[in-house]
Amino acid sequence: MKQLLEGSLAVAEAVRLCLPQVVAAYPITPQTHIIERLAQHVANGELEAEFINAESEFGAASIVLGAVAAGARSFTATASQGLLLMTEVLYNIAGLRLPVVMICANRAVGAPINIFSDHQDSMSVRDAGWVQLYVETNQEAVDTLIQAYRIAEACGLPVMVCMDGFLLTHTFEPVDLPTQAMVDGFLPPFQFSRTLDPVRPMTLGGASEADNFQEYRAAQQAAMEDAMPVIEAFDAEFNEQFGREHGGLLQPCHLDGAETVLLGMGSLMGVVRDVVDKLRDQGQAVGALRLRCFRPFPAQALARYLASAKRIIVLEKAISIGAGGIVAAELRAALHQAGITTPVESVIGGLGGRDLTPDVIEALFQKSSENEAGATFRFAPDHKSLTRQNEEAMNNG
Amino acid sequence: MDNRDPFRYNVLTSGHRACSGCGEAMAARMVTDLVGPDAIYINATGCLQVFTSHNQQSAWQAPWIHSVFANAAAVASGVEAALRIKGKETPVVVQAGDGGTFDIGLQCLSGMIERGHDVLFVCYDNEAYMNTGVQRSGSTPHAVRTSTSPPGQFSQGKQELKKDVISIIAAHNMPYAATATIAYFPDLKAKVEKAMRIKGPRFLQILSPCPLGWAHDSALSVSVSRLAVETGLFPLVELEHGELTGVMRLAEQKPVEEYLRPQGRFKHLFANKAGGVELRHLQALADARIRRYDLLNVDTQWDTETAMQSERHGRGGYTVSSAVREVK
Amino acid sequence: MANLEIEPGSSTAYHTGDWSIEQPVYLDKWPPCSQVCPASEDIQAWLALASEKRWQAAWRKLTERNPFPATMGRICYHACESACNRNHLDSAVNIHAIERYLGDMAIAQGWQHESVDAQPQTQSVAIVGAGPAGLSCAFQLARHGYSVTIFDAQDAPGGTLHSAVPNYRLPSSVLAKEIDAILDLGITLHLNTRVNEDELHDQFDLVFLAIGTQQPRQYRGDSSNHSVMSGLDFLRCLNRGEPVSLPKQVAIIGGGNTAIDVARCVRRLGASAVVVCAQDPHGSHHRDLATEMPASLTEVIEAEAEGVQLIYRAGVRHLVRSGEHLSGVEIAHVEHVHDRKGNFNPRFFDGTEEFIAAGLVIFAIGQKADWQGLEGMSQANESEGVWVGGDAVSKSKLAATAVGSGYQAAMSMMANLSGEISVYQDHKKSKVAYRQMQLHYYPRQPRCEGESLEQRLDGFNEVVTGLADDDAVSEAKRCLSCGVCFECDNCWHFCPDAAVIKKEGGYTIDYDYCKGCGICAQECPCGHIDMVGRSSESKSPQTSL
Repeated sequence: MKQLLEGSLAVAEAVRLCLPQVVAAYPITPQTHIIERLAQHVANGELEAEFINAESEFGAASIVLGAVAAGARSFTATASQGLLLMTEVLYNIAGLRLPVVMICANRAVGAPINIFSDHQDSMSVRDAGWVQLYVETNQEAVDTLIQAYRIAEACGLPVMVCMDGFLLTHTFEPVDLPTQAMVDGFLPPFQFSRTLDPVRPMTLGGASEADNFQEYRAAQQAAMEDAMPVIEAFDAEFNEQFGREHGGLLQPCHLDGAETVLLGMGSLMGVVRDVVDKLRDQGQAVGALRLRCFRPFPAQALARYLASAKRIIVLEKAISIGAGGIVAAELRAALHQAGITTPVESVIGGLGGRDLTPDVIEALFQKSSENEAGATFRFAPDHKSLTRQNEEAMNNG
Repeated sequence: MDNRDPFRYNVLTSGHRACSGCGEAMAARMVTDLVGPDAIYINATGCLQVFTSHNQQSAWQAPWIHSVFANAAAVASGVEAALRIKGKETPVVVQAGDGGTFDIGLQCLSGMIERGHDVLFVCYDNEAYMNTGVQRSGSTPHAVRTSTSPPGQFSQGKQELKKDVISIIAAHNMPYAATATIAYFPDLKAKVEKAMRIKGPRFLQILSPCPLGWAHDSALSVSVSRLAVETGLFPLVELEHGELTGVMRLAEQKPVEEYLRPQGRFKHLFANKAGGVELRHLQALADARIRRYDLLNVDTQWDTETAMQSERHGRGGYTVSSAVREVK
Repeated sequence: MANLEIEPGSSTAYHTGDWSIEQPVYLDKWPPCSQVCPASEDIQAWLALASEKRWQAAWRKLTERNPFPATMGRICYHACESACNRNHLDSAVNIHAIERYLGDMAIAQGWQHESVDAQPQTQSVAIVGAGPAGLSCAFQLARHGYSVTIFDAQDAPGGTLHSAVPNYRLPSSVLAKEIDAILDLGITLHLNTRVNEDELHDQFDLVFLAIGTQQPRQYRGDSSNHSVMSGLDFLRCLNRGEPVSLPKQVAIIGGGNTAIDVARCVRRLGASAVVVCAQDPHGSHHRDLATEMPASLTEVIEAEAEGVQLIYRAGVRHLVRSGEHLSGVEIAHVEHVHDRKGNFNPRFFDGTEEFIAAGLVIFAIGQKADWQGLEGMSQANESEGVWVGGDAVSKSKLAATAVGSGYQAAMSMMANLSGEISVYQDHKKSKVAYRQMQLHYYPRQPRCEGESLEQRLDGFNEVVTGLADDDAVSEAKRCLSCGVCFECDNCWHFCPDAAVIKKEGGYTIDYDYCKGCGICAQECPCGHIDMVGRSSESKSPQTSL
């Protein structure tokens, strides 16, 4: 039965259904509603867990690190500055191969300080060794969170579920919340082999040297690669049990015969989907591809999907300052490696919560690459100026 | 597992790579053997972590985890929370150096205490960043030479004072906070055992000489730490819920020079007039601490003389009942 | 390779012992008490046994070197206690009192000495003199199965201990019982017998001469013997129970223990006693009782407490007589007593003369051996089968020295008889001084004393009682165990590397891991651990006990 729920509350319910035993977090907009709801659940006895009010996000990440190492399924959530304050611990959680699950309520990173949504925060920690899944809707956030625990615990990798701040966290959508029995049927009880326990003492997090450090990294990389089919399989299995799937690694939209394909992540793809539908109705050969799983980066799957495209646009809400689009750069590398020479237009937009309206998306589809000479990317047009231009065109027309 | 010694657990066993005469290795061995192997140990980054977990070889014989430098108290909070929700009563012990306690780790430590986690936090205080090559920390005492507080024409070593961390900790309505040192094993033992009987956050600051950083003979680690107490520079105190409840009385006050002389980190103070001023300053600091804690007159269980003494046949060691075990 | 979990204790695969330059070794050392003990008693060892109330074991350990604990516990001047490292902490262990306690207990319980070797030996040994040296030698030989015959000219064994040590210091029954226990080992004793060299050579394989010093040195400054006596003769009369009548005032000349014995006996007989003595050279102007006379300080203090008057740095110029009648002595301060060649040749400071009234002068100025009948053997040596020991040849005239001399002679004779090169060797090589120790590990604790008799001048009763049982234990526990491990655990729990392993009854150093920091040696309370250069070969683990 669908309920109209704020995204934060919906995903908080999903967390509750996964039965974490330790929840630790530090408040930060736009993540706060998630942990507030969880705190209430714990206070009401609706979730049997320790709710730990950390003294910082650094502390929160460290607490869930310790809790998972001690054998408890755990949860934390943060955004923006908070995620960056966690950075050192994120790397450490991944290096210790602890199956931690967290939500990043994606938000811009200051300065200037800005509380609204873009992907700069999670993209900045893309190399930390976490699985990163970017969701499009609140329903997907709920479903992906449940999948995330399964993935983390099966692969020995931490998973970050990235949902756009405000756009998802503070937006009410009808959401189908599964029952506890359904979730229990999908997600086995927490299991972790390297639990801190005097019965079987072991040393975790010891020092390494040059003669084996690289092997640790190679093992993480291998685990990430192995995680790709697992992510796909669990999405498919989830579909069997819950009747919903979210594309596994990648979710295509009208890719059949599409000459121009726009690739993006997160909630902006809802708008893209609408625009593609509209343009398809107008007979244009456009399509879209949603990158759900950014880490591990599904290079080969991307190449397969995009082999026949004539024009590829990547729209992303983060920038590697001094270089440009991050997803675009990785996509170019993936296509190049696959022998595909189709140019990739890199567009950066939606930073700091700026609206990516249908007008903006449509403009991207219509206008081909007009990067300044030598530039590898361009910024998306501003929706207000586009609106003005459109109005002027209408008036003039 | 190493079971060479039937009289103790060797929770921290041989083959670790601490420098010869390491006070921290000694202190950690004492504490972990007193707590025992049925506990979970969380270690901050630092010498202890580096020398005990070197490259696929571990000197620990109890569950032990190291995460990063600053977060040991937070990791312990998580471990303790997990144990609590699972209904387990395994003790949780944090081990950190003074950097991981006074400076980079203070925030997580404060949070852990404020939230009331049932964790013993042990700070092995060697008064500088030894692991990285003897840089000044918030714990470094006044006028000490370190690689980042070098004496020179305009400096006599560290210009600032040692952070009074025990008071900061105690101000958290802390159930138990105490200072100890390796020289007074019976006192250290009593404090660890007392700490293990108390529920909630507990804190031990154990002065642990570093022959490398303090530049003293490796054989003098125990005697130097003894002199730190006997001069009044490092008072041994216990605080419960912020109130001073125990003090090691000084049988006699020794001049600070007796403590400073064997240590190269104070050598510059004996070189010129300006150093002489700092010598008097250090003596004044000792005198002030003695007055503050009434170290010469306070009525206590034992003093610096009697706390040293014990009996023949295992007098200073672990009690046989608690440590003798079947060799597996 | 990339293990996420590391095996507990896997560091032990890495042998940090390779780092060490020096290594600690456990080493039993001689405590100062034993170093100075003329009888070389292993004092620490028997105190340790006594501290555990293992009284008989303690007595047996003690009597390995000295079969006279009840006697020596009373009369020995206990150099051990002056040397005791505990003086640097509070006050010396009351060693002599515990020794006496053990001796008295042995007498009371009737403990028998035990033989060391079950095998009887064929050789026979003659010993001349049944004093402490002769009996000590006989005791060791008999314990080892040799046939021993002792000859003594006197009517009772014990030598000077029997004839000249006053009863208030040593009741004769105590000495007699300890001698009986020695003789019970099967020793033949011939009293009232003077033997000559030929008899000895003919009948025995080896001979030990321990004839003592039975002849008092005479004062030659006066032609008359009237009202003049030797200290030795005076004490012998008393011990034989002969009646002695004294004038009101007695002057005693000499600064040794005999002089003090005489003075204290004089006081017990109701007369006043003035002791005149001089030591050369004086050294300082300070009047330090300990250096003014060779007599034992404790004895001197006791004597003063009993009203004996002491005049230091003075000698007799002449006896003052009216006709034969002695009215006193004229004394004067001496510059020196002996000249540069060591001959008795006092020089007085003019103008320092003083008259001391005395109806009797007792000279206690030394004694010498009586070689009558044995003159040919006085210069004999071991190659001729003759050993000489005891007071007759020792510089020190202490009874304990005589006991030690007898022990060494016995060991040497047995080595000779068995064809071995040397047996007399102590297992503890090095010594330990208080500077090598960590005295702050020991609790301060007051010394227990026997009780002093209050009405002591009424007779010749013993002036000091033995220790109470509890006091004997707590006093034995005061022993610092210098140089000998007493399992305090310091090395064990201060080792940063867990390289000291505790075993049942001791410790082992695991050189695989010892980095040689030296903390164990530094913090060993009793100086039992030495740091030595690391040998190139790998060392096998070494154990403390």
